[in-house]
Amino acid sequence: MLDMAIDSTQRAPRPGPRAFFAGAGLVWTRQRILWWILAVNLVLAFAGASFLAHNVAENSGVALNTSLESARRLFHGFDLSALAELGSLPQQPLRGMSTMYIWPSFFFTLFMIFSTGGILVSYYDDLRLDAAGFFEACGRHFWRFVRLAIYFAVAMIPIFFLGSLLGSLYDNVDDAAVSPYSSVAFLAAVIVFFLFLLISIRIWFDMAQVISMAKNDRRMYRMLGRSAKLVWNNFGSLFWLYIRISVIGWVVFAAGLCLWMLVLPPESTGVALLLGQAMIAVWLGTRLWQRASETEWYKQYRMALYQPVPMPPPPPAPSPVPEVETLTPS
Amino acid sequence: MVVAALCVAPISGAKRLAPPQNHATAEAPANAEPKPLSTRVVAYQIQATLVPREHKINASETLTYKNLTGQPQQTFPFHLYLNAFQPQSTFMTEVRLDGTRGSSSGTSWDPKHYGSETVTRLEVDGMGDVTKNIHFIHPDDNNTQDRTVFQVTLPTPVAPGASVTFRMDFVDVMPEVVERTGYKRDFYMVGQWFPKIGVWWKNQWNCHQFHAATEFFADFGTFDVKVTVPQDDVVGAAGDLVSSTNNSGGTKTLTFHSEDVHDFSWTASPHFTDVEDFWTGSAGTVRIHLLMSPGNMATAPRYLQALKGTLAYYDKNVGPYPYDRITVVDPPHGALDAGGMEYPTLITAGTAWWMPKGLLTPEVVVAHEFGHQYWYGMVATNEFEEAWLDEGINSYEEVKVMDALYGPKTSVINFPFAQMGDAESQRVSYLSMPDYDPLTRFAWQFVGDQSYGGITYGKTATVLLTLEKLLGENKMRDVMHQYFMRYRFTHPTGADFLKTIDDVSGQNLDWYFNQAVSGTNVLDYEIRDVRSDPVKWYESVSTGPRVYRSYVTVHRKGDFVFPVDVKVTFDDKSSTTEHWDGRDRWIRYTYERSAKVAAAQIDPDHKVWLDRNFFNNSRTVSSYDSTTHKLLNIWVFVNEWISQLVAWIA
Repeated sequence: MLDMAIDSTQRAPRPGPRAFFAGAGLVWTRQRILWWILAVNLVLAFAGASFLAHNVAENSGVALNTSLESARRLFHGFDLSALAELGSLPQQPLRGMSTMYIWPSFFFTLFMIFSTGGILVSYYDDLRLDAAGFFEACGRHFWRFVRLAIYFAVAMIPIFFLGSLLGSLYDNVDDAAVSPYSSVAFLAAVIVFFLFLLISIRIWFDMAQVISMAKNDRRMYRMLGRSAKLVWNNFGSLFWLYIRISVIGWVVFAAGLCLWMLVLPPESTGVALLLGQAMIAVWLGTRLWQRASETEWYKQYRMALYQPVPMPPPPPAPSPVPEVETLTPS
Repeated sequence: MVVAALCVAPISGAKRLAPPQNHATAEAPANAEPKPLSTRVVAYQIQATLVPREHKINASETLTYKNLTGQPQQTFPFHLYLNAFQPQSTFMTEVRLDGTRGSSSGTSWDPKHYGSETVTRLEVDGMGDVTKNIHFIHPDDNNTQDRTVFQVTLPTPVAPGASVTFRMDFVDVMPEVVERTGYKRDFYMVGQWFPKIGVWWKNQWNCHQFHAATEFFADFGTFDVKVTVPQDDVVGAAGDLVSSTNNSGGTKTLTFHSEDVHDFSWTASPHFTDVEDFWTGSAGTVRIHLLMSPGNMATAPRYLQALKGTLAYYDKNVGPYPYDRITVVDPPHGALDAGGMEYPTLITAGTAWWMPKGLLTPEVVVAHEFGHQYWYGMVATNEFEEAWLDEGINSYEEVKVMDALYGPKTSVINFPFAQMGDAESQRVSYLSMPDYDPLTRFAWQFVGDQSYGGITYGKTATVLLTLEKLLGENKMRDVMHQYFMRYRFTHPTGADFLKTIDDVSGQNLDWYFNQAVSGTNVLDYEIRDVRSDPVKWYESVSTGPRVYRSYVTVHRKGDFVFPVDVKVTFDDKSSTTEHWDGRDRWIRYTYERSAKVAAAQIDPDHKVWLDRNFFNNSRTVSSYDSTTHKLLNIWVFVNEWISQLVAWIA
C-alpha cells in the first residue's frame, strides 16, 4: 500500500546517471543473456533466409554455386540488375525474399515476450540466475507480458490513426508549398513527434513490466496505471535515460553500416559476417541496456524512497532532576 | 555557365551568347533564303492566353496546311489530346485496366486530373464556318465517348499542291499534372495542347486516338506562337523568343518562332531559375536553358554535364544537332508526371531535392529525352504504330551515351556497395515480360503497360546491343549515323531502319530480325552438363599418362536460334573455344585429354545481351559457394534486424 502511494505521487530522487552506467554494467555482467538472445535471433533469421539461399544455390535454372556469372556480378561487387534478373526468371529463385522475415520476426517477438520476465528478474535482483531460475521467472511473467503486448498493440491504434491524419496533412502541405523544403521540414517535425510519442509509450510499457516484475503483480491493467503515473512524474529522467542509449545504438549501427558498405571489399564474407553480427549484438545490447537501466532506475528509486528516515536530533535534555537516592533494601 | 534568376523576363540567352552559327543554313549560299530542313506541310499560328485562376487557356489557331498528298482532300482529321483526360475516354479506360506512367490500374481518377479541349469555332478560308461539320471519330476502338480525334469535312476539296487555312478558337482546361501535361500550383507544362492535324501517311490519314501507352506523330512545319501569361512568370518554349511585350493587367505576351519541327510546347512558372549555358558542335552554337524548380538547384550541374555529354556524343556519332537551342524543364516537386518527356527543342527532366549522386536518374532522363530530339524530333517515326523506332532506338543510344559518360557498369546506380549499368537496366526491363508482344505491335495493342515498356524500350535496346556485338561497334555506329542522315525530317518505317542495317552491314539479317523484331522468340542457352570420366585401360589404345574423357553439353532452351561461342576450360588452365550455330536443340562436345574439364561458358565475351538467363550460361565442375554465402549473410543480417525491430513491441 505504501508503494502505491509512493509510485503515484512522487518524483524520483534523481537516480538517472547512476542507472545509465549501472545498466551498462548489468548488461556486461549478465552477458550470457545477450549471447543467448543473439543466438536465438541468429538461428531464427538463418532459418528464414537459408531456404532462399538454397533456392538460388540449387535451383535447376539458377545454380549460383556453379555459375561464373554469379561471381562476376554478385561476388566481385554487387550488381543490382543481377538480383533483378534472378527475380525475373521463371524458376523464381528469389520467391519469398519479401516475406522471409515474417516467421522469424513472429517467433523472435514471442521469444522476447517470454524471456523478458527472466531478463528483468536477473537485472532487478542482481542475481546470476541459473537456467531453472531464469526460466521460472520467464514462465511466471509470460502471460502477463503477453497481455501487456496486446495492450501495447491497442495503444498503437490511435497512433496509427494519428499517423494517417498527419500523412494527409503532409500531403496538403506538400501540395501547397512551392519549395519542397517546407514539406520536408514538416515531415521531419512529424517524424520527431512520432518518435517522441512511440518512445514515450515504450517507456510507459517498459516500466509497467518492471513494476509488475518488482511487485510480482499480475494485474497488468493496474500496472499500466501505476506506470503511467510514475513515468508522468519522472518523464524527463526516464526519457533521457532511454534516448541516450538509443542514440548510442543508432550511431554504432550507422558506423557499422558505413564500414560494411564503404570500407569492406565486396568479396569479404567472413569479416562481413562478423561485422554484421557485431552490429546486431550492439543493437540488441542497447535494448537490453535500456531494460537494465530502467530496472536499475526503478530499484534505485524505490531504495531511495525506502531509506530509513533519519532520526531527528534528540530533544534537549529536560531540566535536571535531583537525583533521588534510592534506597535499596538490604 | 551563367546563372540568373529571372523573375520578370522570359528566358533569352541570345543577348549574352554568340549567335548560333551555321544552323540550318550551312548549305545555303550567302544572302540566300535558308533552305528548309524539312518538307513543311503545316504552318501554325497560335495566340494563347493563360487564365491561371481557372487553369484554362483561351486560344485561337490559324493552320495553313499544304496538300502534298497527291490527291484532292476534303476530309481532315485533328487530334484533341487533352480530351483524353475525360472519364469515358479510351485513354482513361485503358488506364483503369492496366495503368500507365504515374497511374496504376484500378485507381479512381481524381477529378482534378480531368482536362479537356474544346473547339468553339472552326472556319476555313474561302469556305466559311464549318464548325457544324465537326464530328468525333474513333478509328481505333469505336469508343463513341472518346473525343480525342475529330474530323471535319469541307464543302469543297483541296486540290493537290494547294493550301488550305483553318481558323479556329479553342479552350483548354488543363488537368493537374498527369501524363506529361498540366499544372501544379502555379507551374504549367503545356504540351499536346492545341488542335493538331493528322498525318497523310501510307496513302491514308493517320490520326489515332490518344491511348494510355501511345505517344505522338505529326507533320513538320513552322510555328509562330504568342503566349500571354502573368508578368512574373518565367517562360520556356520550344521556339526562339522573338519578342516580349508587357500588357496592362499584369500580363505579358511572348512571341516564339520555330521551324522544321512538328510540335510546340511551353512551360511557365514564377519560380523557375533559368540556368543558361551554351555548347558548340559541328552545326554551330546551341543555347542551353535549364529551368530549375525550387529545391532542385543542386542537380543543375548534373543536368548540364549529362546534356553537354549527350550533345557531344550525338554530334560525333549520329549527326549534327541543327537547332540553336535546347531547353530543359525541371518540374517542381509534386509534378514529376510532367517530367521525362520530349518535345522539339524542349525536354522535361526530373529530380528531387534528396537525389544522391550515386543514383543517376537525372542524367539518364536528360540523356534519354535529349536523344528523342534525333529520333522522335528529326527522324520522326510514327509513335502510335512503331514506338520501338523512337523509344527503343533512343534507349539503345541512351545506353551508349550513359556508358560513355559514366561507365558501363555504373551508369544507372553507382554506390560503393551496389551498382547497375544502363545496358543491364534495359535488359532487366525486357526480362520482366519477354514473350508477349513483338517490337512491331501497335503501341496500344500490347498486353499491358509493363509489356509495352519492357519490349518497346528494353527489348529494342537489348536487340540493338546484341546486334552491335554481331556487327562490331564501328559498323553499328555507322548504321545509326546512316539511318539518321538518310531519314531525318521524314517519317521512315521499321522496314527503312532494317534495310539501312542490311545496307550498311552488307548482310542479310532477316534471320535475326524475324526472331528479334517481328517475333516473340526468347533466347536462352545453358550449359546443361560438364563431366570428366577417366578413360578405362581397356578403352585406351595408348599407354601413357591418365586420360580423361570430358563432356560438355550445351542446350538451347529458348526458341531463338543464335550462333554462340562456348569456352571450355580444363583444370590444367588450358582452354578451347567452340562455335555453335545453335540450330539444333543441343550439342555435346567431347574431349580426351590428360586434364579434366573445369568449367564451360557460353558467350564468354558477353556479346549476346538477349540471352534470357546469364546465370545458366556457365557451369563449373567444382562448387563455389562464395556468392550464396554473401547473399545469405546479407539476408540473415536483414532478417535479424527486422526481427529485433518487430520485437520492440514486446
